[in-house]
Amino acid sequence: MSRGWRTFAIGVLIAVLVIALIPWVWMLLTSLKTRLDALADVPVWMFKPTFEHYPTVFLDKSYLPLVWNSILVASVTTALSLLFGVPAAYVFARHDFRGKEDLFFFFLTTRMAPPISVVVPMFLLFTTFGITDTPLAVILAHSTFNLSLVVWMMRGFFADIPREIDEAALMDGHSRFGMFARVLVPLAAPGLAATAVLCFILSWNEFLYAFVLVAFEGRTLTVGIPGLITPHGTLWGQVAAVAIVATLPIIVFSIFVQKHLVRGLTFGAVKG
Amino acid sequence: MGVRFHQISKVFPDGTVALNDFSLEFDTGEFVVLLGPSGSGKTTACRILAGLEEATGGIVEVDGRDITGLPPRERGMSMVFQNYALYAHKSVFDNIAYPLKVRGTPRKERERKVREIADMLRIDELLRRRPRELSGGQAQRVAVARALVWDPAICLMDEPLSNLDALLRLHTRTELKRLHAELRRTFVFVTHDQEEAMTLGTRIAVMSEGALVQFDTPRIVYRRPATRFVAEFIGRPAMNTLDGAVRGGRFSAGAINLPADGLPEGPIALGVRPEHLLVHEAPGEGRIPLEVDVVELVEPDTLLFLRGEGVSFIARMVRDGGELDPKTTVHVEIPRKHRHWFDASTGTRIHSGS
Repeated sequence: MSRGWRTFAIGVLIAVLVIALIPWVWMLLTSLKTRLDALADVPVWMFKPTFEHYPTVFLDKSYLPLVWNSILVASVTTALSLLFGVPAAYVFARHDFRGKEDLFFFFLTTRMAPPISVVVPMFLLFTTFGITDTPLAVILAHSTFNLSLVVWMMRGFFADIPREIDEAALMDGHSRFGMFARVLVPLAAPGLAATAVLCFILSWNEFLYAFVLVAFEGRTLTVGIPGLITPHGTLWGQVAAVAIVATLPIIVFSIFVQKHLVRGLTFGAVKG
Repeated sequence: MGVRFHQISKVFPDGTVALNDFSLEFDTGEFVVLLGPSGSGKTTACRILAGLEEATGGIVEVDGRDITGLPPRERGMSMVFQNYALYAHKSVFDNIAYPLKVRGTPRKERERKVREIADMLRIDELLRRRPRELSGGQAQRVAVARALVWDPAICLMDEPLSNLDALLRLHTRTELKRLHAELRRTFVFVTHDQEEAMTLGTRIAVMSEGALVQFDTPRIVYRRPATRFVAEFIGRPAMNTLDGAVRGGRFSAGAINLPADGLPEGPIALGVRPEHLLVHEAPGEGRIPLEVDVVELVEPDTLLFLRGEGVSFIARMVRDGGELDPKTTVHVEIPRKHRHWFDASTGTRIHSGS
């Protein structure tokens, strides 16, 4: 790459970075501003920070259980999706059967429809089973979306492991399941971590289903935010405080697995 | 007692016939080489013995026990793969120890056995490394160590040397032979390289198109090939074969005319190894005049590519033939005892009484 291109590329990256980060920095600042500063006509950059919003919203308004709900929903969703998705992905990567690619494509199509198009049917379904307004409903809804993602990403990671490894494990004395669980899964661990993080983030961020399916105790953090939009005006400082807390795990996880995340997603695209 | 393939057939889902009525029997303790060109079914046979592939028909027995339906782990066999298939996330030590670990060997004994085999293969310095930090030759030894460490009854090797460079391949070949002599274990070795087969095997199973063609010691496979296919596959350069016919007790093919007593009348093929051709400069009784086409020095020998009317030969001269120029005429003698005869249509060996 020539010098000129390099400079240009770095320029573009900086521009993208600034555009992407401004809302987040704005949010961080807002969470530290008094209501007066937050609503100033001309944005205030220099101000005396206040930390009142965090304790107010999480302790006084009891948003702390919502953090727990979010963690519960995202963790169980991730666990469920991996539990069913990883073995399926392995089969897609290793075995040939009739209609395999069609089935694989069918899995992907579950993500093609706009999520909102199935929210009503799913609500009715969960009502029939009597599980609306429980975290279980949200977990099941999120898992249906994440499952295809897991299959999609993990297929690529498994396909990347030579077939002879499976056979070596069998010769070394493993049963088929032992080979999968004790050799293949550990070998695919980096990809597994990336996939798990992506599942977790998607579930953690999801608003629509969480909002429609639960109203009270089971609310997640994302659903809690609209509760701060009151008839007396929006409590921007508290909204920002909740949002900051909600973005933290995503930032931490993404930094850890970004390399594998990119690899996993492009894998599926090329090899799928 | 030993290993017995009985009328094994294997058809893959796409319709490819890999094995067709394949039968083979050998004893424990042998070094059996499955030799054949690609597509001959040698790898499939090996994988069926390992239990990695399911036979479409037929049975496999070990020591009289039918193992056809058993999963690999219940067969007491190990395998060295062409690409070694080492576990990338484990150290060399853990790779070698893995079959012991899976089979529940106590830690102390695991340690002892790994050290013992590592010592034997001279990889004791590498035990702490990761597979990606190994050279091809080292990785190959680790794979062999992993296959032998737990004393399997049979060790299978699927072209284990083909990813090594030429010099290392020779060296490793010798090592394997030494290992076999020391361990007295049954080795089944798959290769397409006839030289490897000749040097390693106590017996060679030559395969073609999914069936066994000949199963004999290297010496017999070389000296008395059962078919024209074996004759042409074993030996470098390959055996010269000529299509001709016997009429009135004489064999003729192009410029060649030889007495053929005891052979049936009709089309037949003559075979003679390059090193058995006697090349003379003067004409004589029974000598065939041929023109030298190309001279190749394969020190210390010389290869002559000879051409005559309707025939061509390769001759290997043990003496220095560098003085022979292309276009000169030489006179070739085919000694009677080195003539091989093959049926023109089936390719099977015909015994001529000589």
